[in-house]
Amino acid sequence: MVEIKYSPSKFIVSKLKSICPRKGTEYFALIGFIIILSIILMAIFAPFIAPYNPIKKVGGILEEPNGRFILGTDGLGRDIFSRIIFGARTAISVTFLAVIISLSFGVLLGLLSGYIGGKFDSIFSLVMDAIYSFPGLILAIVLSAMLGPGILNTAIAIAVIYTPTYFRMVRGLVLSLKESLFVEAARAIGAKDRTIVFKYIFPNVISSVPIVLSLNAADAVLTLAALSFLGLGLPAPTPDWGFDLKAGHAYLASKIWWPSTFPGLMIVILTLGFSLLGEGINEILTPELRR
Amino acid sequence: MASLKVYIVRRVLLAIPMIFILLSIVFLIMRVAGDPVSAILGGHAPQEQIEQIKQQLGLNKPIIFQFFGYIGQLLRGNLGRSLIWGQRPVVNEIWDHFPATLELSISAFLISIIIGIFTGTVAATHRNRFLDHTFRLYGIITYGLFIPWIGIMLQLLFGVYLGLLPIGGRIGTLMEPKSITGLYVLDSLLTLNFDSLVSAIKHLILPSVTLGVYLSGIYTRLTRTHLMETLEKDFIKAARARGLSERAVIYKHGLKNAFIPILTMMGLQFALLLVGAVLTEITFSWPGMGTLLFERITYRDFTTVQGIIVFFALIVVTVNLLVDIIYAYIDPRIRY
Amino acid sequence: MKARRMGIFKVILVILPLVALYLTPATASASKTKPIVLGTTDKITVLDPAKTYDFYTWEVFHNIGEGLLKYKPGTTELMPGIAKSYKVSSDGFEYTFKLREGLKFTDGQPLNAAAVKWSIDRVMRLKLDPSWLVSAFVKRVEVVDNYTVKFVLKKPVSFFPSLVTTTPYIPVSSKSYPADKVAEPTVGHYGPYKIKKWVRDVELVLEANPDYYGPQPKSKLFVVKFYKNAATMRLALETGEIDVAWKSLRPIDIKSLKSKGKQKILEVPGPYIRYIICRCNKPPFDDVRLREAVAAAIDRDRICREAYKGTVKPLYSMVPMGMWSHIDAFKQEYGERNLELAKKLLTEAGYSKENPFEIELWYTPTHYGDLEADVAAIIKESLEETGLIKVTLKSAEWATYAAKYITAGTMPIFLLGWYPDYIDPDDYTTVFLHSKWSPDMGVFYSNPTMDNLLDKARTEIEIKNRTELYKKVQKLMAKEAPVIPLFQGILTAATQPNIEGVILDPVMLLRYYLIYRK
Repeated sequence: MVEIKYSPSKFIVSKLKSICPRKGTEYFALIGFIIILSIILMAIFAPFIAPYNPIKKVGGILEEPNGRFILGTDGLGRDIFSRIIFGARTAISVTFLAVIISLSFGVLLGLLSGYIGGKFDSIFSLVMDAIYSFPGLILAIVLSAMLGPGILNTAIAIAVIYTPTYFRMVRGLVLSLKESLFVEAARAIGAKDRTIVFKYIFPNVISSVPIVLSLNAADAVLTLAALSFLGLGLPAPTPDWGFDLKAGHAYLASKIWWPSTFPGLMIVILTLGFSLLGEGINEILTPELRR
Repeated sequence: MASLKVYIVRRVLLAIPMIFILLSIVFLIMRVAGDPVSAILGGHAPQEQIEQIKQQLGLNKPIIFQFFGYIGQLLRGNLGRSLIWGQRPVVNEIWDHFPATLELSISAFLISIIIGIFTGTVAATHRNRFLDHTFRLYGIITYGLFIPWIGIMLQLLFGVYLGLLPIGGRIGTLMEPKSITGLYVLDSLLTLNFDSLVSAIKHLILPSVTLGVYLSGIYTRLTRTHLMETLEKDFIKAARARGLSERAVIYKHGLKNAFIPILTMMGLQFALLLVGAVLTEITFSWPGMGTLLFERITYRDFTTVQGIIVFFALIVVTVNLLVDIIYAYIDPRIRY
Repeated sequence: MKARRMGIFKVILVILPLVALYLTPATASASKTKPIVLGTTDKITVLDPAKTYDFYTWEVFHNIGEGLLKYKPGTTELMPGIAKSYKVSSDGFEYTFKLREGLKFTDGQPLNAAAVKWSIDRVMRLKLDPSWLVSAFVKRVEVVDNYTVKFVLKKPVSFFPSLVTTTPYIPVSSKSYPADKVAEPTVGHYGPYKIKKWVRDVELVLEANPDYYGPQPKSKLFVVKFYKNAATMRLALETGEIDVAWKSLRPIDIKSLKSKGKQKILEVPGPYIRYIICRCNKPPFDDVRLREAVAAAIDRDRICREAYKGTVKPLYSMVPMGMWSHIDAFKQEYGERNLELAKKLLTEAGYSKENPFEIELWYTPTHYGDLEADVAAIIKESLEETGLIKVTLKSAEWATYAAKYITAGTMPIFLLGWYPDYIDPDDYTTVFLHSKWSPDMGVFYSNPTMDNLLDKARTEIEIKNRTELYKKVQKLMAKEAPVIPLFQGILTAATQPNIEGVILDPVMLLRYYLIYRK
């Protein structure tokens, strides 16, 4: 059967493990790393960087970018620059939470399913394939509408649609490792199943996680932004790029461009960071695939 | 060819549990998380009325009965009725909105393959040089372009500042062409209604460019990879050896041979196209399935949301099936 | 080389006509009788008077249909509709209407007493959302003769004539509407306009009804265009694609249209009000001091100015401004805002800076427009300015909010809004304050004095006495603050400079048949 590749991250991993020059690649990875690092730092040190309280009215309503408010103010007189800085916290925390949840479930289920095999494996694979083949955002919209707003709920909604990505990757690896020599050897000396899974298979599996993780994080950032844009993310007045973009959309016809432009730009930059890093790591970790 | 038939049957059979599982997931989420009855009746409904509606919708039965009841109806092609407002059949709601999504998807897809194949070809033929790096970066950047943001930027530029194009809707007032296919551009061409054609195209430009650019990056990469692979094949070397110009080699032999795998890979990105279409529709208030889904989720219109998801699932599974079969037909090694 | 040129040539061949088409101005159709085009972000939910319970669809029914009585444009005065006259029995139990003769629905059925009875009976039988407007008051409808119809009430209701103007009382034809289920035919109504074409959520094309008894609509063709997005509608107004932008332009767009000055902006106070509800039967808000503290600390002015950019007005009573009997009850009780009083009350109730009063304030993010989160944020800030309150904002989607949380008493304090069903102070007070209905609104307020006042005002016929009773109701309400009014909406329409006849009034239903182009 054809290996089904819908998600771009999946696609990038399997299809583009090739053909790029070492130098360019490392350059990409470096830029990606710098972007992510600065946004993480921004999130951590938000209170020190942001000039104003992001959820308080500090200036006039919809002030154009000026000396006091370098990116202007929003419809409630809040400083857009400060909201963007604090918005990094939302983006980073939900993304990481979502990635960690999907990673843990995906890896665990993938390990079990691949190792145990049989009916258990077929059922899980079928469920995961079903979720995987479905347009992710649509499922996430339904889920988060049902779960309600909040950091954890949103993270769960995102995690559900990305769990299959890890599951499929890990299961595939386990299936091939199961037949490998060193696992056979371990079995021959009487190692228990649990030992084999966690001591021999798990470390091998985990080493290939970072690439998928980074590309997956890019998808997660976009999904979070989409949910927030649809008003299904975090409750107001939490600074949240997607939500602020939507709020800014309302002012568009009056030629008020700043409340939408800047939060949206941050979404694009963060996604770009993860994509660049992911591709970079991919190339660096698997040099033998390069032609 | 017998094995191809077997393969097709196998793929079709495999699609059934896939749809079934998707249905159960959606059904569970919807039933566990909300209460459709109070959502229909509004705040102050007397208890007996609630019971009556529950009876009517079969919501008083155990959830497992509800589920199989629903599947039973589905097999008969019945998606039920909307829970709100006029309680219209869900099928009608879907058919009212699907042509808009189809029109948007088709034009965005065309835009994306044109951009994708062009940039991909340039990248592949300038391997490791400046243009190659530029278009690889283009591929990465476009994928990160958050659709609502790029959409809003285009709305600002072409709708608000330049005043050239409408920023929402499908067609001007009283311009709707006689419905044949439901695709406004096609219908106005078929009925030779040029006012409608102009209006429909004007409304279509911004949304399909937004979605098209977003998808094009992926197609840039696909084209680049496949074309590079093809260009290393022996017959290309042979063509070069025959003294054909580089252009002829690339376009006549390279691209032509890389085209089918590229197209097939594009089919596999179909789910992404749908996701993109949903966001594009909401940004541009394009009256398609995405807008419908979003509207009905806010109203907890369970049956319609379920219907939409079932419909999406059917489309995705069918398209994947078709792509797989075409692929198998082209490349016999795939089958086993 | 040759091959490539050909390719480009082909592409140009395809693109060129498209460009040419694009540049051709679409003026060909403009010379025909130009309809008036109205844009709205609302939608027709369901085209059946027995089922529809939203303002926009009601507006459509008031243009394609007509009730026994109707409001005189621009006022809250009643005038004859399809009934020429009516009389009330001396005990107030029976209302007898004399219908105009020779009317027929757009499907050809006669509109007579039997048709009115059939329609009203249908509404009561179907028992759908708006049916209580009939069944809560009407015991039965009797056909006296072909053109006389009698309503027998369950008990005397002073505002029955106002009720009769509402949509469930608008008669429809038994030929087009089925007796026992909801339907959406485009014929079978009787009003100034009839439906020519309806594409759901896209456009509604109305055409003058030649059989209408009254003056013909000013514009023969009238088109309603449905928008999903207010910004799109505003641009359509600016490009001249629509003549009237009706509910609802965003405040920011109204402000910017005003400053550009190319379109006419019409504004009147509407009957739409917003308020906060306190759940009065359980802690913490069973303590009247805490409700008073909230009432005193709210910064209404800031909500109107910042969130709504001055497109709404602060409201100090549940009875809206412009309606008879309205007094600024909360202003008299607390002033515009009184932080000192709020602090005093909170301290008395045992709260301090170290031990602030913690509340969960609920709102629903989309149902009341996308400014709702801003409104909630401002309320949070204004309460926290006392230094003794700590507010956590919580939100739920409308379906859950309305259907579950309100009646279950899940939310201790929350935001809500009200569009009137009928134009009478009763509609703004009884549901919230009477112990029988207040649980339905999540107020759970019970005070025998209040119940007594409301019951009296309901049955009293003399308007002067009713006014006095409603003033007492408002004073008592301000004192106990189970509900805290916030602001009143302003109805805004923007039109092209050459459009006349857009009459906005508290009835809120725009009459398309009066609109014309100079």
